[in-house]
Amino acid sequence: MPKRKLDPLPSAAFQILLSLAGEDLHGYAIMRQVAEQTEGRMRLGPGTLYGSIRTLLEAQCVEEVGEGAERRRYYRLTTAGRNLARAEADRLADLLRVARAKKIFKGDYV
Amino acid sequence: MSENIYTFLIRLFPSHFREAYGDAALQLFRDRSRDEKGFFPRLRLWLDLLADLAISIPREYRYAQAVRQQVAPVPGFHFVADESPGRGALLCGAVLSLVGIEAFSLLSGHFTKHQQVPRNIAALIGQVETGGQDGEQATERQRVLRQVIANLKQYYVDPNAAVQIANALKTHQASGDYDALTGAALADLLTRQMREVSGDRHLIVEYSQTPLPAQPPQGPTPESIARYRAAMEQNNCMFEKIETLPHNIGYLKLNAFPEPSVCGPTADAAMASLNHADAIIFDLRDNTGGFPDMVALMAAYLFDHPEYLYNPREKPTELSWTRSPVPGNKLADKPVYVLTSARTLSGAEQFTYDLKMLKRATLVGETTGGAAHAGVWHRIDDHFGMGIPEVKAINPFSKTDWEGSGVEPDVKVNAADALNVARKLAERQAEREIIYKRGH
Repeated sequence: MPKRKLDPLPSAAFQILLSLAGEDLHGYAIMRQVAEQTEGRMRLGPGTLYGSIRTLLEAQCVEEVGEGAERRRYYRLTTAGRNLARAEADRLADLLRVARAKKIFKGDYV
Repeated sequence: MSENIYTFLIRLFPSHFREAYGDAALQLFRDRSRDEKGFFPRLRLWLDLLADLAISIPREYRYAQAVRQQVAPVPGFHFVADESPGRGALLCGAVLSLVGIEAFSLLSGHFTKHQQVPRNIAALIGQVETGGQDGEQATERQRVLRQVIANLKQYYVDPNAAVQIANALKTHQASGDYDALTGAALADLLTRQMREVSGDRHLIVEYSQTPLPAQPPQGPTPESIARYRAAMEQNNCMFEKIETLPHNIGYLKLNAFPEPSVCGPTADAAMASLNHADAIIFDLRDNTGGFPDMVALMAAYLFDHPEYLYNPREKPTELSWTRSPVPGNKLADKPVYVLTSARTLSGAEQFTYDLKMLKRATLVGETTGGAAHAGVWHRIDDHFGMGIPEVKAINPFSKTDWEGSGVEPDVKVNAADALNVARKLAERQAEREIIYKRGH
C-alpha cells in the first residue's frame, strides 16, 4: 500500500510503534502495552490492531520475528519504524513549543 | 457463546484480512475475554469490539479495493461486490451495531475525549507549509535577523556575549548561510549558531506555522483566572491519586504544579494526609510542569530547615528558599522517591532536579524531557519569536541545568515499571530501619 497511509501518522500506529520500542511483542501484548502507556484510554480492538500492524509491516516500520511460545506472531520495531516514531515525537514536541509560545499562562512553565 | 458471536462477526471482514489475521483477531478476543471478566469490563470489551468493527471493516474494504486498483491501473470498472459478507453475518452485525450505537450515545463523553485531541494535533501539524515569493522571503529573512540581533543586544543577560553572537550571525549572513532558508529551517539554524557562540541552551529562535498572537496577554484576566480555578477544582488540582500503599508508603500522583493561590490548600491537605507515612513516593511521570511557587510549597514538607531551590528562570529571592519547617509536618526526614518519565517536564523537572542535587530523593524511572524554559519570549513577527534569558539564575549545584538533556534518574527503569521498583526500594529501606532500631 502507498506509504502516505502513515502520513499523518494515525495515533493507533504511533502507539503501536511506541509499544514495540522496548521489546518484541505479540498482538495481545501490544494491545496491553498500548492500554498501559495510555492509561487505559486506548484499548485496541482486533481490526484496528491488525489493520495498523499490516500497514506498518507494508511500510517496513515493523517486522515479524517468527512465532514464539503458543504459536503467536511476534513483531519487532525496525530502524525505519524507530525513525518514524521519533519524527512524530519531534513534531509533537514542536507543537508543545507553539503552545508555550502562545503563553497560555503568564508565569507558567506550560 | 460470545466467542461464537465474535467468530461470526469476523466474517464481516473481507477475505484478505480474514486469511491474514482472522485467527490472530480471534486469539486477541479470547485473551481479552479471559482477562476482562465481570459485568462492566465485559460490557466495555464489547463496546470496544463494536467500535473497532465499525471503524475497521469499512477501512478494510477500502483497502481491498485499493489493492485491486493497484493491480489494474487502467481506468475501468471494478467488481466491488465479489467481497460481500454473508447475509447472516450482516444481519447479526446490523443488530449489534444498533445496540452499539445506543450504548455509544450514552458513553459518548468517554469516547470523544480522546478522539478530539489527535484530530486537533493532526490539523495543526498537517498544515502545508506555504512559501511566498523569493523576494518576500529574502525580506522576511532580513527582518527576522535584524530583530534577533536587536533583541539580543537589548535583552540578553550578558551584553558582551550579545555583541559576539550578533557579529557571528552577521558573518553567517554575509557568507550566504541563510539564503534559501525559511520557516523552521531558518529558526533552527539561527538557534544552533547562537548556541555555538554562547554555549547557552536557553537561547532559541522558534518558528510557528500558525500566526502568533499580536500581543502577549498582559497578565491573566478575571475570566481566565475563573476558568483556571474551575478547571483545577474539577481536576482536584491535578492530584490524580493520594493513597497509602502497604508498608505505610505514601503515594502521591501529581500531574502539574498548579498555582498556589488556587491550589495551595489542596496541596497542603494532600501532604497532611500522608503525614504519618514512613516513606513517600511522588509520581511525576505525567507531570508537565507548572508554577515554581508550587514546587517550593511541596518541597517545603521535605526539609526541616529552609533550603535553596534552584529555578533557572529567576534570580534568587527569599521565595527561592522553602518555607521549612512546616508546623506539624513529620515528613522532613522520611525517604523520598520521585518517579520520572520522558514526559516529566519543566516545573516537574525543577522539583526532580533540586531534590536530586540536594540528595533528598531517589529518582526512579526515565531521563526527564529536558525543558527548562528559562528564556523570556519575544515576538518577532507573525511566525517568528525568540527566547532570551534575561536573568542570571544562580545554580549552586552544577554549571548546566536540564535544558535539552533532562534530569538523569538514580535508578533507570522504564516509566511503566518505576512504581513497582520504587515500592520495592521503599519497602527494603523500611525493613532495614526496623532492624536498625531493634539493634539499638
